[in-house]
Amino acid sequence: MSRRLTWALLGLVLVVALAVGSRGPSGPVTEDQRARRITSIVRCPTCRGLSVAQSDAPSAEAIRDEVRRRVGAGETDAQIKAYLVSRYSEDILLQPKTAGAGLVVWALPVVGGAAAVGGLVVVLRRRRLRPGAKVSDDDQALVDAALGR
Amino acid sequence: MSAVLGTAAVALGLAAAVLGMATLAIGLRKGNPGMLRAGQRYVWLILAGALLATASMQYALLSHDFSLKYVADNGSRSTPLLYTVTTMWSALEGSILLWSLVLSGYIALMVRHFRARATDPIVAWASLVAFGVAAFFFGLMAGPANPFRVVSGVIPLDGPGPNPLLQNHPLVAFHPPMLYLGYVGFTIPFAFALAALITGRLGEGWLVETRRWTLFAWGFLTVGIVLGAWWSYEVLGWGGYWAWDPVENASFLPWLTATAYVHSVMVQERRAMLRVWNLSLLVATFSLTILGTFLTRSGVLDSVHAFTESPIGPAILGFFALVVTVSIALIGWRGDTLRSPGSIDAPISREGAFLANNVAFAAFAFVVLLGTVFPLLVEAVNGDQLSVGAPYFNRMTAPIGFTLLFLMAVAPALPWRKAAAETLHHRLVWPAWAGTLTVVACVVAGLRGLGPLIAFGLAAFAGAAALRQLGLSVRAARRSGQPAWRALFGRSNGGMVVHIGVVILAVGFAASSSYGHRAQFRLSPGQSARLAGHSVTYLGTTTADLGNKKRTSAQVRVDGGKVYEPALNLFQFGSQAIGSPSVHTGPFSDVYLTLVVPPDADGVAVIGVNVQPLVAWLWTGGGVMGFGTFLAAWPGRRRRRPFVPEADAAPEVASGEATPVAAAASS
Repeated sequence: MSRRLTWALLGLVLVVALAVGSRGPSGPVTEDQRARRITSIVRCPTCRGLSVAQSDAPSAEAIRDEVRRRVGAGETDAQIKAYLVSRYSEDILLQPKTAGAGLVVWALPVVGGAAAVGGLVVVLRRRRLRPGAKVSDDDQALVDAALGR
Repeated sequence: MSAVLGTAAVALGLAAAVLGMATLAIGLRKGNPGMLRAGQRYVWLILAGALLATASMQYALLSHDFSLKYVADNGSRSTPLLYTVTTMWSALEGSILLWSLVLSGYIALMVRHFRARATDPIVAWASLVAFGVAAFFFGLMAGPANPFRVVSGVIPLDGPGPNPLLQNHPLVAFHPPMLYLGYVGFTIPFAFALAALITGRLGEGWLVETRRWTLFAWGFLTVGIVLGAWWSYEVLGWGGYWAWDPVENASFLPWLTATAYVHSVMVQERRAMLRVWNLSLLVATFSLTILGTFLTRSGVLDSVHAFTESPIGPAILGFFALVVTVSIALIGWRGDTLRSPGSIDAPISREGAFLANNVAFAAFAFVVLLGTVFPLLVEAVNGDQLSVGAPYFNRMTAPIGFTLLFLMAVAPALPWRKAAAETLHHRLVWPAWAGTLTVVACVVAGLRGLGPLIAFGLAAFAGAAALRQLGLSVRAARRSGQPAWRALFGRSNGGMVVHIGVVILAVGFAASSSYGHRAQFRLSPGQSARLAGHSVTYLGTTTADLGNKKRTSAQVRVDGGKVYEPALNLFQFGSQAIGSPSVHTGPFSDVYLTLVVPPDADGVAVIGVNVQPLVAWLWTGGGVMGFGTFLAAWPGRRRRRPFVPEADAAPEVASGEATPVAAAASS
């Protein structure tokens, strides 16, 4: 088989497998799944750093019950989160909102990452050899010896 | 007596460090070889100070000398022997003492290792810098973090013992020392980096000399972090091992920059490029260990690890600022000489992959640092409180992790300078199929979710690539008449073993965080429950008085076999009950049991059950990574001391060409 064909086949198999594999279980999202999704981004008030979904603490248990009740009553995710923020405070949510100060923590890595990748491309494109500082003979000898050249 | 001896020992260490620095400085200024030698000999006094201080502290702890404030605050008569010993690193002051001990040990090894070249200015400057760091830590113990302060007023008859979480599992005896061996070990390459900047000898010589020091520090840090995750899994009782807690992040940050460094340093050795970048990575790694100490020890962050609060914060922050300022100034000053002579010929090459690897690691470190300090910054600026927790870190770092796995698969197959399509096809085609077919197999087996599937596929790709490299090395070794095991030693082979460790760890991480099940069951004695294919049967509860704690343990039979005992501990001086999980560990899944609520009047207890797949792979992967580091640091045939005389080195160089490494690289 030709090289190109091999890789095309490989890509096709991979894409199909991932497409099948990324489909979640069929049917609408159950209440239980919604409750779990919400509680996984809510901080357990008494344990710091753990989500309500992860913790066995009584305070986490209480929030779990409350979220489950509200999901059952038909509230949206946003309404439930808003309730929790009003009941506790902004820092009850384990990920900051994408607005105000919180936007910075989301946007900065994206902007920085884009800049870094851009910089990398620039560096890689600059292929010509630059006449620069010379390595001292002593150091070169050490490197050569170490690298077994 | 311990107080007097300990205080004297700290004073000895501090004085020796300062005098050593002064002697070296004068010796360097005057070009006096005698003074340079004499200056470095002060290290033995520093080491003596650290050893004596540690001995005094241990004696005080073991003899329950409650006249010492540290012992009165953290020791107790009822604490078992092991945890009395580990009490030394259960709180701030003792941790600084452990740090100083490890640091003194490292500096002593460094001075001994380079004793034949003690009069070389680069060695002398490195010693001076290292002594400076030692002086800072002894200074902390002489001032704000004095472990030998005595109790004012009445001497108590007993103490509360260490934090209950720190006397619940024997891993506490291994995790902190390992972590410190890693953290502190980066002082040596940092000292050489500064010495190279100061002396202007910025060629590749200093890198080669500190290569193995860096590898050892990296290996210890890796093992230390994994042991910390294991400790957290076995002790904290929430069923996880990594919560992106600030303390975990503080240990992870220098690991990220150090990992970037151990890769990019190869580009510098090979192609004489990235000099400023590599120096910056070393400085960043060392600075981040100091920043981590500040974050975790000053009480500035609230976290499960922040056991201590102390006025030590400003001192550490000041030292951090000093390190960063001096380093940046030196790099700026030497900017011209740092200009690299080499350049990259083609993006699809080994050095191109290393560059991409470095961008990814730098981005990773940036995200972790930003997320860790962001709540602090926001609070400082406008008083708002917000949390940046696991959901943020998982979402932001997952793409970077995938990128790194991909690079790990591709990079070892890329030749230096330039890659031909033919070569790439030949080297990558079967690892790529291994990855693809793994994804297919997982999907067929019923696993769902894009994230874990990508992780498994990339892990198989990278694992196959690493195995291919090792296979080639073994074949080359056989051909040249060497035993096959020789093909595992040396930097590139050891590095591939480390990669396999990373693959195992990544699979464990992806599986356990994606396919876990948790539930709580209210059970009467004799009743059973099922979760994710495992059965748990609650048998009953017993209570025991263990001196330092009262323990209520539930007996739970897992899968009709062994009985496990999750427990709740009430410590003598603690108000809150501390849970002790009990874990049924298997090669493919763990059953993690906690006693959530002890039995009520009707005998009904609440048992927490957490079933997670492949958790044991995390610890295995960490072990393989440590082992691989050891193999990589092992002096290979073709690696010699850089300063052996030419005549001795020449024949070895010739034989070195035929080693497995060289053969594999040219295949």
